[in-house]
Amino acid sequence: MLSKLKIALSTLVAGATVAALTAFATPVPAPAQTATNVAPAAQAAMPAAAPDPAAMVKKASNSTADHSKFKELQKEFKSGPEVTKACLTCHTEAAKQIQKTKHWTFEFINPETQQKLGKKNVINNFCTAVESNQKFCNACHVGYGWENDKFDFTADENVDCVVCHESTGTYRKVPGLSGHPTYKDMEFPPHSGKIVKAPDLAKVAQSVGKTSRANCGSCHFYGGGGDAVKHGDLDSTLKDPPKYLDIHMEKKGLNFSCGTCHMTSAHQVPGSRYAPTAAGKKDAVAPHMRGKADDSNPTSCQSCHGTKPHSAKMAKLNEHTDKIACQTCHIPEFARGQATKMTWDWSTAGQLTPEGKPIVKKDSAGRNAYDSKKGDFTWEDHVIPEYIWFNGKVNYTLRETKLDPSKVVKINSFEGSPTDGKSLIWPVKVFRGQQPYDSVSNTLLVPHTFGADDTAYWSNFNWDKSLEAGMKAANVPYSGKYGFVKTEMSWPITHMVAPKADALTCAQCHSKEGRLKNVKGIYMPGRGDNNQLLDKAGWALALLTLIGVLIHGAGRIYAHRKG
Amino acid sequence: MTVERIYVFKRFERLWHWGQASLIIFMLITGFEVHGSYTLFGFGKAVDLHTIAAWSLIGLWVFAIFWHFTTGEWKQYIPTTDKVVAMIKFYSVGIFTNAPHPFKATTLKKHNPLQRLAYLGVLLFIGPLLWLTGWLYLFFSDWAAWGVDQYVSLEWVAFFHTAGAFMMLLFLIAHVYLTTAGHTPTSHIKAMITGWEEVD
Amino acid sequence: MLKVIGGFIAALVFVGFMAYNFMSSMMFWEIPSPFGVEETVARIQQNIQNAGNGWALAGLRNPAKAVENDGGNALPVMMVEACSTKYSGPILRDDTVRFLSILMPCKISIYKKNDGKTYIAGMNARLMGKMFGPLVGEVMGHVADDQAKFIIFDASQPAPPMIKGTPGAAGGAAAASGGGC
Repeated sequence: MLSKLKIALSTLVAGATVAALTAFATPVPAPAQTATNVAPAAQAAMPAAAPDPAAMVKKASNSTADHSKFKELQKEFKSGPEVTKACLTCHTEAAKQIQKTKHWTFEFINPETQQKLGKKNVINNFCTAVESNQKFCNACHVGYGWENDKFDFTADENVDCVVCHESTGTYRKVPGLSGHPTYKDMEFPPHSGKIVKAPDLAKVAQSVGKTSRANCGSCHFYGGGGDAVKHGDLDSTLKDPPKYLDIHMEKKGLNFSCGTCHMTSAHQVPGSRYAPTAAGKKDAVAPHMRGKADDSNPTSCQSCHGTKPHSAKMAKLNEHTDKIACQTCHIPEFARGQATKMTWDWSTAGQLTPEGKPIVKKDSAGRNAYDSKKGDFTWEDHVIPEYIWFNGKVNYTLRETKLDPSKVVKINSFEGSPTDGKSLIWPVKVFRGQQPYDSVSNTLLVPHTFGADDTAYWSNFNWDKSLEAGMKAANVPYSGKYGFVKTEMSWPITHMVAPKADALTCAQCHSKEGRLKNVKGIYMPGRGDNNQLLDKAGWALALLTLIGVLIHGAGRIYAHRKG
Repeated sequence: MTVERIYVFKRFERLWHWGQASLIIFMLITGFEVHGSYTLFGFGKAVDLHTIAAWSLIGLWVFAIFWHFTTGEWKQYIPTTDKVVAMIKFYSVGIFTNAPHPFKATTLKKHNPLQRLAYLGVLLFIGPLLWLTGWLYLFFSDWAAWGVDQYVSLEWVAFFHTAGAFMMLLFLIAHVYLTTAGHTPTSHIKAMITGWEEVD
Repeated sequence: MLKVIGGFIAALVFVGFMAYNFMSSMMFWEIPSPFGVEETVARIQQNIQNAGNGWALAGLRNPAKAVENDGGNALPVMMVEACSTKYSGPILRDDTVRFLSILMPCKISIYKKNDGKTYIAGMNARLMGKMFGPLVGEVMGHVADDQAKFIIFDASQPAPPMIKGTPGAAGGAAAASGGGC
């Protein structure tokens, strides 16, 4: 309000002529302008290009404890649980804290919808389900040994401390080992010729510190069965992201870790996709300070930037923050570091060579386009997101949810509307595919994919056996008849924030074929939301008036000459 | 036929007129771009320019209102039915037959009755319509704080703002043409530039 | 007389305005691609390699990468560079038109726009050629004919792999093997 008055007063003095002059002095953006825009950016990047050697050598940690000097860690460890026991001699409460988190339980009850979620329960349209495939999938469980329902969730030594805290980069939980790292060198993936070395557990234990991007990334970058597959805004390029990719995490810049935003307390990591925060807290006092009495989610843009983040010069942008998520403009595209998987069609899986061998086909960029184990894929980088109204509420299609196979099944549906006062326009990645469902009971199925037994799909390529085994393990009845149903899953885009110069410009939404052309329920100038009747009537009347005065004028000239 | 010259438009009035004219034309150009009718400056720039021009026009109006009331010139806009029919007759018939203009401008009555009606319409209807809807448009995000968000929607604000703009465009076309309908085709225009009008 | 001159000037302004408006679309063409950026690149590369007439790949440029290295973002852009000595030779041998080497090698640009779709753009070689006399005009006419074939795709064929780098003409230096310019 005040800033507007200021503008008003200053322009008042300048008056009409100045307004007109400034307008014409700056030409309509021409291609040549881009070149001049690039130059200062290049200069600005120059000084930063020379890395500070001192910073490179110095250990990033300011901790008062050097774990390599601890007697407890200076011994030979034979297994992960042994390391954990050593950790717990000092960090007495750590395991109990972990055991309360969904990183451990793989279970989450949405307080609003009461839906039972978590990796243990949901079915997605990537690798579909964990049940019956724990040995493989639980490589990303923050524990050791969860291979079936007999896993002891109360045993402290089953907690994996180092996967989140080690800093050697050598510790890797290999799929198939139920969450253990390999204790002797092994070939992985099988028959790939690639050797995963057994980590030196003592070194790993001595290297512990604050959780880094690489620690979180060891699972979260590889969701959906490989690097960059699932999220689109989380992949291994964020380990050491260049400035263009992530303005907050660039090493030479702000160098945020995941925990800078996911401000963890007692091992509870805030910021969840099961119950996301769509709008941040409106009256949250920015920045969100550790220890301050504010129970709102710290993992939102608003918790640091507030709800009026733009300078007074760009006040109009601040008026957009109650309708548009920050991410919509500031993450103009996702998967900007490498391509993410966009579709996955399980129905074509199982094609084999005449000799019965599985096939892998590549696309033009050298990415897997077909794999007998999984079906057809497509990949895309620099993906333009889809945009939706979102109020933070997500409903899942769970194992027991009835579905309509004639329609595309929304595995998760984001609630939101332009009028509920809580929704913002959010960018999402929509992942589309086809996956098995029970064609009698009309529910999604749990396939048994991994295992040395003869029912695992990846060994035998037999859906009947695989689905029967999977459903048996999940303890859900199965009619024995299956089909493939089209499914869709949405992922909110929130990482990979671009430098501010790369945010969307006005006309990218305020235009007829703009980014928000499919967002309903809001009037946007410039998008063609105009009342067509008024437009037609207005222009027609203007034209008629013009023709009228021209005829009148011609008549006068004619009359004047004659008379 | 002798030509008489009278001083009809004072310096401020002329400044006001041309300032207002250029701002209104400029706002029509930028406004219809924001509306999505074409691309000229680019959406963002058009919005900025439109806003700047709007505030400039408000400033100009503050001065103009002050001037009109202190000088008593506001009386020039008091509507009258006197000679309205004659004016219509003149524009539709007389002007083609070289009939004499039924209205003689004087310093005290410088607008003919049709002008009075038209300008009053612009000042009391089209102008306020554009102002009111324009302000609502500009302060869109404050609606909730003002408590008006349940009574107005941006869609209708935009509708009436656009409707006002079309009316202003129609006025502009007719007005520009009728400036040629004076004693000579250029006498009205000259008057608005120099202040002196030639009358019969 | 005044009217004639006035009419002439008006016509001139009109023609100038039209030329200004249509110049860019006459000098260059842009069409949507049915494939993604990489696959479009790969298929064009394959077409170039199968085109005959001495055509060879001269390089693959990624100008968006340079923007990224400077900390900015740009939607994917790739430029397939191709050259045929059969066509470049005559022009490079003639002193009066040698400056046209500035247009070599031939480029086809493949990029993504904000609608998420992939587009292909190139230069109107035939029209450009006509501006520089009969020799260049004829050569560029052939180039234009061949270029038109580069962008005919057979979707029933599987996607070929994209060829990265500059085969046979590393660093733009004259390399005999690949026939790059």
